[in-house]
This record gives sequence, C-alpha cells and structure tokens, in this order.
Amino acid sequence: MLFLTMAWRNVWRNRRRSALTVSVIALSLTFNILMRGIGDGFHEQMVDNSVRAHIGHLQVHRSGYHDDPGLNRTLPDPAAVQRALAALPGVRGYSLRVLGDGLASTDDNSAGIAIVGIDPTEERTVTTIERAITEGRYLDGPDPRPILVGDRLATTLKTRVGDKVVLLVQAADGSMGAQLFRVGGLFRSGSPDLDRNVAYVRRSDAQDLFALGDRVTEAVVLLESSAAVEGAQASLAAALAGGTYEVLTWSQVEPFLEQFIVLDDAFFYIIVGILFIVISIGILNTILMSVFERVREFGVMMALGTRPRQVVRLVVLEAIVLAAVGSAVGGTLGSLATLYFADAGIDLSSFAEGAASIGITTTVVYSELTAANVILSNLAVFVLVVLVALYPAVHAARLRPVDAIRHV
Amino acid sequence: MSLLTLANVTKTYGNHVGVRAVDDVSLVLERGAFAALAGPSGSGKTTLLNLVGGLDKPDRGTIRIGEAEITAMPPSALADFRLRRLGFIFQAFNLLPVLTVVENLEFVPALQGMAAAERRRRAHDLLAKVGLADVGGKRPNELSGGQQQRVAVVRAILTEPDVVLADEPTANLDSANAERLLEMMQELNRERGVTFLFSTHDPQVMARARRLIRLRDGRIDADDTHSSATTQTRP
Repeated sequence: MLFLTMAWRNVWRNRRRSALTVSVIALSLTFNILMRGIGDGFHEQMVDNSVRAHIGHLQVHRSGYHDDPGLNRTLPDPAAVQRALAALPGVRGYSLRVLGDGLASTDDNSAGIAIVGIDPTEERTVTTIERAITEGRYLDGPDPRPILVGDRLATTLKTRVGDKVVLLVQAADGSMGAQLFRVGGLFRSGSPDLDRNVAYVRRSDAQDLFALGDRVTEAVVLLESSAAVEGAQASLAAALAGGTYEVLTWSQVEPFLEQFIVLDDAFFYIIVGILFIVISIGILNTILMSVFERVREFGVMMALGTRPRQVVRLVVLEAIVLAAVGSAVGGTLGSLATLYFADAGIDLSSFAEGAASIGITTTVVYSELTAANVILSNLAVFVLVVLVALYPAVHAARLRPVDAIRHV
Repeated sequence: MSLLTLANVTKTYGNHVGVRAVDDVSLVLERGAFAALAGPSGSGKTTLLNLVGGLDKPDRGTIRIGEAEITAMPPSALADFRLRRLGFIFQAFNLLPVLTVVENLEFVPALQGMAAAERRRRAHDLLAKVGLADVGGKRPNELSGGQQQRVAVVRAILTEPDVVLADEPTANLDSANAERLLEMMQELNRERGVTFLFSTHDPQVMARARRLIRLRDGRIDADDTHSSATTQTRP
C-alpha cells in the first residue's frame, strides 16, 4: 500500500508530463478499440452479407461435391437431411437447391451462367434474394417458369422483366435440356459475382430442366448465430454420419472470405504494432526522465533498506498507474466511439464499388463492440507499459546508494 | 561492550593512480557511544561512514556490527541489515518528498513489516517529543531546514537501530537549529542509549561528542574520549 501511495503521488509530481503520457496511452487505446471494433463489424457484415446473399452458414452436399461439383453428385437422401436439420438446434432455416451450369440466351445475346433452382418459400428463410429484387417480382407468383436474373446479367443479355430467356443445359442424363423462361424479376444483391453470373428459377423447373426428378444438389442452412457454426457443423456431420455427405461451413465454401479477414487482421495488427512501438518510445522516455530526476531519492530509499526489487516494484507501479488512468480514459472513449459508430455507421459509399468486390454489399459499415476487444486492448496496453517500465526500473534498482545519494 | 569493530579497513578510489580515502583504519566503538569522525575535507570521514553503513565496500579489511560482518554480506542481505540494524541521517535531510512527515517516519518500519498502528503510534510519540507534533500531515517542503532535520533524526531512531550514522547533520543548519538538533540527539543517546556516529567538521558537534576521532588523509590522527562524558548503554 505504501508503494502504491508513493507511485500514485510520484506520477502526479509532474502533472503535465504524466497527463501527456496518459493522453498518449488513452488515444492509442481509443484508436485500437475503435479500429478493432470497425474491423470486427466490417468482417461480421461481410460474412453476414455473403451468408445471407447466397452461401448460408452451412452447406450439405454429397461427399466430394465441393471439390468437383456435378449433377451426378446429388444429395443421397434429401429427406434424411431435412430430418437431421429439423432436429438440429439453432437452425433458423434451410433451403434445398439444385445447382447447375447453363447458357442463357435472349434475342440479342447469350451468357454462360449458374442456374440455381430454389423453393421460394424455403429460400426466403435463408437468403435475402427476395429483398434484393429491384424490378418485377419473386418466384412465388402464378406465372409459369419465371426466372430471376441479376441486373448486370440482364444488361449483358439486354433483357428486361417480361422478356423471354432460353436456358440451354446438359442434363443429368447427358441429354441437352432447353427451356423457355420469362424474366420475372431483376435483382441487385451487391455481389458482382451473383449479379453478373447467377439466375434463380423454381426448384421444380430446374429439376425438369436438368432431368433430376426430385433430386437436389445441396442443402443451405442459416443458423441463429454465426458463433454456433463449428458446433452445428459437427452435430450435423454426426447426424448424417451414416451417409456419404459433406457438411461445410461458410469459410470452407468461400475460403477467400476467411483469408481476407485473416489478411485484414494481420494488417491491423501490423499497424497497431507500429503504433505501439512509437508509443512505447514515448512512455519509455517519460519513465526514464522520471527515474533520472529521482536518482537521489532512490539512493536514500536504498540506504534506508529498500531492496532493489522493491525499487523495481515502485517504478513498475508508477507505470501501472499511468496505464490504469490511460486505460480508464482510453477504454471509455474507445468503447463510446465504437458504440457511436455501431449505431451511426461509417459511410463508405464513395468506396462502394471496391467494397462490393469483396462482399460488402452495404455502403455503411457498423462497428461492433465486444468485451474481448476492450479486455484484450487494455491488456495489451498494460503489458506494453509494464514491459517498457522494466528497463528504467532495473536501471533504478541497480544504482549504488553511495553514488545515488550524492547525485545532483 | 563493543558494537562496531573495524579492522584494517582500506578504501581506494581511482583505478590506476589510486587515492586512499580510508587507509588501514582499525576502530572499536562501544554500544551507546556518541562519537564524531572529524577532520578536514578529503580526510575520509564520509567514506568511512559510508563503509560502516554498508553503502560502500572496502577494498580490504573487515567491518563488524555486533556479530555481523557486513563486509561479507551480499547486496540484498546488506539492504536488509541496513533496514533492521542501522539508522541514517543525511546532510541534506533527504526526506522523501511525496510522503508526509508521518509517512516518512513510517517508511522504514513499514518495510520492516511493523504493524501500522504501532509505527504510527511511535511516529506521533517521537514527533511530540521533538516538538513537531503539529507537522505530521505536512510534506517535507512545507517544513524549515531545522524541522526537516529533526524529522530525519526521528526517522533514523524510530525503529531503535543499533547505530545511527549521521553525515554532517548540522551542515545545512544555522547555529541555533544545529544546537537544538544536537541537544535532541544527545538526549536520545542518554535516555534511549541510541549509539550515534557522526561525520562532521562542525565545532558544535565536536564539542558535544564524547568521543572524537580525528582523521587525516584517510588515517586516524587522534582518538580522544572526553573524560567528563558518561556513556549510557541500552538496557
């Protein structure tokens, strides 16, 4: 308690210098928490957008489908998958789909596309494709063989709502399948890949087109929480263990997403690391100055019987006082700033095109405040400050009392 | 009963052309002594006091305080010895500026592990005894030089060390304050049997010392015991 009292008072002996140091610590912590919060929110939104746009949290296929997709690898027993999903806790919805490639042709142009056969009602529980419709209507209307195309694909095909589109495919039995569809709606998901290359049709129409009968190629699952993905994957894989299935998470389906997040995190930590090095030099300077100014005091303390490790403790405690005040201020400011941007968001509309290319389909990024962010950021600052304080602390502890007392 | 024994103690400064600050000094000091090391500047007073206090190591010779040979102790043991067995009074007072007077007095006993209530009681009792009962909550910079040095004396004796080492304790005081301080230390010596060893060139201190050890060029030049003095020993 005595050393803590001394540390507290020593810190405030030079108020201006300590206030400056506390400000540096607080600002770095604020920056760290806010940037981490924006990063977390950005990643969460990116994943959520991709998950909700098309891929879901989990996908169930016949084994080997992901590496070599084809109509010969349909789900062995869709009913068994449905039963397993019905029994799995935390499932918000699922959609059984037919996926195949084909050629879309209009009077003016043609393009190779991915054809996704969906049940409109099921799909509504998993993806946001219905909400992405900008013109026309969803696939649940009375019209025969409607097709939803992305706005970029519509531009390529020079087609509009109500126009005819012929889909030409190689069916599961090897025959050529061709069907006439009519554009029921246009969508803009924000994902250039989806908007340029994908068309949605009813699942039954796709099954006819690809001569699949009632077979489907995948089940796409949306969970209540993205945090439960790994657990749900394991549970579902266990439930389907008797069959030849593969259960993949979003990150396995789209490894690019996870790689991007890892890379983005790496850049963040590099920037924070550089920032912390610069801050460390400042803090080291402050504590060294403080030690050099008190050489005689340390000499007196040691002459009176203070042990070297107690001198180290005093200097480190002073650093901890600085870190604690800086953390309190920075933690509060960082949390408040993160909460503010979690509500107000950060307008990135000027970067919309670039953001869309990496799966960010909204023009406003919302930060996310997590306990882990605040705790880890504070911990990092504490560890940094204590480590930085060790050098001047050891320097003080190694002073010879007889020399230190004479120090002017 | 001897308390402090120096045998052939030598301390040299400088690597090549060494200056012998203390040259083959042997000395025995009795418990309850009120002794002064006197001599001109450079005679080795402060160096000898630092060696006795374990703040510096001699190049040769041994120093014993009681049964402990401090010249053989490692630094941590020496720090502990200083904490428990020695008291220091410095020329420049050297109270810790961030602590109040009472906290300064509690510093050493707190390091020793003395109970808070006991060390506070001792601090207040001794402050009252030296006429500083009303300054306990003040910081050192709010006190006069004389008051600060009296606090320093109280700090040195509060834990009842074997010996109090005082380096030029009156050097920064006017003669009235110096006289008052010396009276106080003499009283503590008489009443409590605290052993004092000063380094000084102040005639006031020399006049009051019961034993005056004169140094010249690092050697003992004269060692006088005032015949009228009565040595009190601790019970």
